[in-house]
Amino acid sequence: MKNLLFAVLVAACLVPPARAELVNFDLSGNIYTKWLYRNNDSQGVLSLGNPFWPDNMSGDNGVGTEFELLINGKVGNNVEAGVRLKSRFGALWQDWWENGDINYDQQNTSGESLGQNHAQYIKLRGYWVRASPPFPGVESILVGSSDFGMFNEWTIGKIRYIDRDNGKGVFIKGAGHDDYFRYHIGAIALPKLWVGPGWSTGIGDPNIRNPFYSSDWAYGARFDSMPTDGLALTLIGTLTRDAEIDLTDPDAVGSDFPSCTDDLGNPVAGCEPNGAVDSFNRYSNAVVTLESQIDVWDGGSFNVIGGFSHSQIDPQLAANGVAQNEGVFPLVFDDVQGWFVRARGELFDVGADGLTLKVELFNIDEHFMTIFGARREADVLLTDGFIEGGQLPSLNLANEFVDFDDAWYESIIGWRGVTGIAQYEAGVLDLTIEGTVIDYNTNAQNRDVDTIYPTFLHTDGYTDTDIYDYANVLDRGRDPRSVYKRHQDRLSAIGMLKAVFKTGVGRGLQIGLKGKFIFDSDNRREPSLDSAAAKALTGAGDEAFPDDDYLGLITRGKVWVAYPFFDGLSFQVGGQFDYWDEQNRKGSLEQGYSDDVTVKVKPFLDIGYQLEGLKFRYHLEYVYKDAQRERDLDRTYHIVRSKAEMVVSW
Amino acid sequence: MTSRGVRFLSLLLTATLLAATAQAQDIVLKDPKGDDNGPGKYVYPTDPVYKKGSFDMTEVKLADKGDTVQVKVSFATKIEDPWRSKDWGGNGFSLQMVFIYIDKDGKAGSGHTGALPGLNVDFNPTAAWEKVLIVSPQGTTRLKNEIRGKARKQRKDIVLPSRVKARGRTLVATFAKADIGGLDRGWGYQALVQSNEGFPKAHDLLTRPVNEYKGKHRFGGGSDFDCDPHVIDMLAGSATGGSDEKSAQHKALSGYKCTDDPDAGKRTQIPMVYPKR
Repeated sequence: MKNLLFAVLVAACLVPPARAELVNFDLSGNIYTKWLYRNNDSQGVLSLGNPFWPDNMSGDNGVGTEFELLINGKVGNNVEAGVRLKSRFGALWQDWWENGDINYDQQNTSGESLGQNHAQYIKLRGYWVRASPPFPGVESILVGSSDFGMFNEWTIGKIRYIDRDNGKGVFIKGAGHDDYFRYHIGAIALPKLWVGPGWSTGIGDPNIRNPFYSSDWAYGARFDSMPTDGLALTLIGTLTRDAEIDLTDPDAVGSDFPSCTDDLGNPVAGCEPNGAVDSFNRYSNAVVTLESQIDVWDGGSFNVIGGFSHSQIDPQLAANGVAQNEGVFPLVFDDVQGWFVRARGELFDVGADGLTLKVELFNIDEHFMTIFGARREADVLLTDGFIEGGQLPSLNLANEFVDFDDAWYESIIGWRGVTGIAQYEAGVLDLTIEGTVIDYNTNAQNRDVDTIYPTFLHTDGYTDTDIYDYANVLDRGRDPRSVYKRHQDRLSAIGMLKAVFKTGVGRGLQIGLKGKFIFDSDNRREPSLDSAAAKALTGAGDEAFPDDDYLGLITRGKVWVAYPFFDGLSFQVGGQFDYWDEQNRKGSLEQGYSDDVTVKVKPFLDIGYQLEGLKFRYHLEYVYKDAQRERDLDRTYHIVRSKAEMVVSW
Repeated sequence: MTSRGVRFLSLLLTATLLAATAQAQDIVLKDPKGDDNGPGKYVYPTDPVYKKGSFDMTEVKLADKGDTVQVKVSFATKIEDPWRSKDWGGNGFSLQMVFIYIDKDGKAGSGHTGALPGLNVDFNPTAAWEKVLIVSPQGTTRLKNEIRGKARKQRKDIVLPSRVKARGRTLVATFAKADIGGLDRGWGYQALVQSNEGFPKAHDLLTRPVNEYKGKHRFGGGSDFDCDPHVIDMLAGSATGGSDEKSAQHKALSGYKCTDDPDAGKRTQIPMVYPKR
């Protein structure tokens, strides 16, 4: 026994001590903290959270922190692997003891009753392996997480930043010829949510008893060619397919005919168990785009992109959200084909150094549908738009899980028009002038918004993104996704001027101003319809119906002063003034319409500081809004709110 | 022709000649296509945002615009903004970053021989630099902060542009001429192409590292130590764009030596291009 003990001791001494082996690891991490405060009584760290399912992390007052660790493995010259570990965001600094194991319906004194949203657990958010096998024509194969940035906004959009590693798939990239033929193909597992009718791939759909989402995939292929110097062609095709099981198949769990007999015991024709379950398409969406980028001349740059979409929905497997969800639905509930074209030209140094002219023509069909297109954090048009964040060709936009200072995105389905921009950048002045005219392919009378075309319930009035709520109890105007109406005859124009004076005073004083004017008219019903309807209903003439023409004259002015007090510190103070004069802003044929005037004033302060790997940003604003409403009580808002963010990366 | 017509024509001719003279003063330095591989074996990162030709510099043009110097750096493909630079106070593009070094006196021992941190190259002692112009998608606040922390010794000789923008395949940057001290064809020039890294390593001036193996956001083909040049493309030879300049670049960037000791390697020395010589 002594010998054995001695042998073990010797062996223990000879074995080298365990040590961290990090040569093959590339580690990076960051800690992010957000302070969100407002003069109300809601608690949480997210201004606008889940619009459907209530969550307990949304609210306007709180401080929260998250940590993420990225680990890249250096496997070899031809194999790369990586993961991203990240803690759940949502816990307040006050949630000392939350461990997520109990989730009561309301807070209690246990200190641990708020659930996993507040438990700061570390989750495996992303994982990928990229290999470059010596196969002819293949450069790399990626298995795992991707943000789908290889496609485009019209087909499969780049996933929003907070979800950047959630998407998984298999991707192959390669080339037949380095210049003439490059490709990137992929198969993507659809998320259970949002890429489908009713923002799901069957989950929660009342028409689906057994949501079968594990076979829901999207497929994408991108082909690039540079046939000559300065000309790049890109062809992208994608297919998104949400499949569900055939419940008449006797092999399916929960089959309507497990024994191949009907309720009366009669045999069902063609029904025979075979150990396999058939599936149907609940929804499928194919989108193809062709883009040419032309840079053959130093004096200009040109881009033309066009595309086609096919959207097919099975009404037996997808509940009609247009009819049953008050028009809140991310698709036209019908089989539709659509198209789009966008042509953009930029001319540099036109007539004078620093003068750039841009012209863009765009025409997006009312039936262009892309269920997997970009939802936010992208912009496909040059115009400043009605909403300044960005314009995207989808009804499936994501203006949720955002804070009050985040950008907003609006749908351009049906837009057709032209934008002209002149930019002059010389000396101390940066000047941009824009003019845009928009007509609408969605203009129509008696459109079926009851069963086919989603309206998103709130179709009228200029959208107030400063004071926004999903249910619209605050009268915030049109939903940014609302492009269809029962009666529409709309024409819009946008004018914008932005100037920044880089004065050079001190360390670089800058003065900026921006003015914007929007003319937005919608004649809504055509008079001929009034006469016909009036006669049919009452025997009376047009006088039986109220004037329903909308005219919105939206004026916005903004001015700011920025000054870098020292290296790394930026300081900006400014204010914004809005005056909205809207005739017939909201109402209905039955109730009549109201002329509303809205005045908003928003002074703000921004401070930014950077020190090595630390970044800090603070935004403070006061929003005064006076909504003078003809049919409803006037409303006044006095909102003071702030957001600070600190991120440390290493 | 009337005397008024003659006067108009002579004015036009004079204006044209003046313009042509001004054009002639422009310093145009060309670089061959297909040499965006550093010493010859570097490869791009694997993320799809890094597209073929993104770092393949084809031309550098410096033009005297009176009080300012306009610098145009052209690439083989359209310059894109996949990371939406306006969201982080940037200049309308995301990926490229260019350092333009200037040897104003051509004297050995005069000026800096070490390039800015993150590039891992030295200049030949006879080609030491007096000024460096930075063309970056990052805003001035970020740049100044990084310079203050990482390039304190060279800080006074680093010139930042008053304006930077992307136009098609070209980056256009405007610098105050007084900050450079003029513009002269007799000076030496070198343009080093890198990639903007918003989360740089502790000592790198917003540059993207070159590792032994390529990664999602890492160039490959170099070393994991800081002995290898972190330069993807540069001017070489007499900067006329000839294909022989590819091998000249490869040779210039291959003079480094790495050892097992991360701190014991030897950096390569690179030359300047002197348009007048």
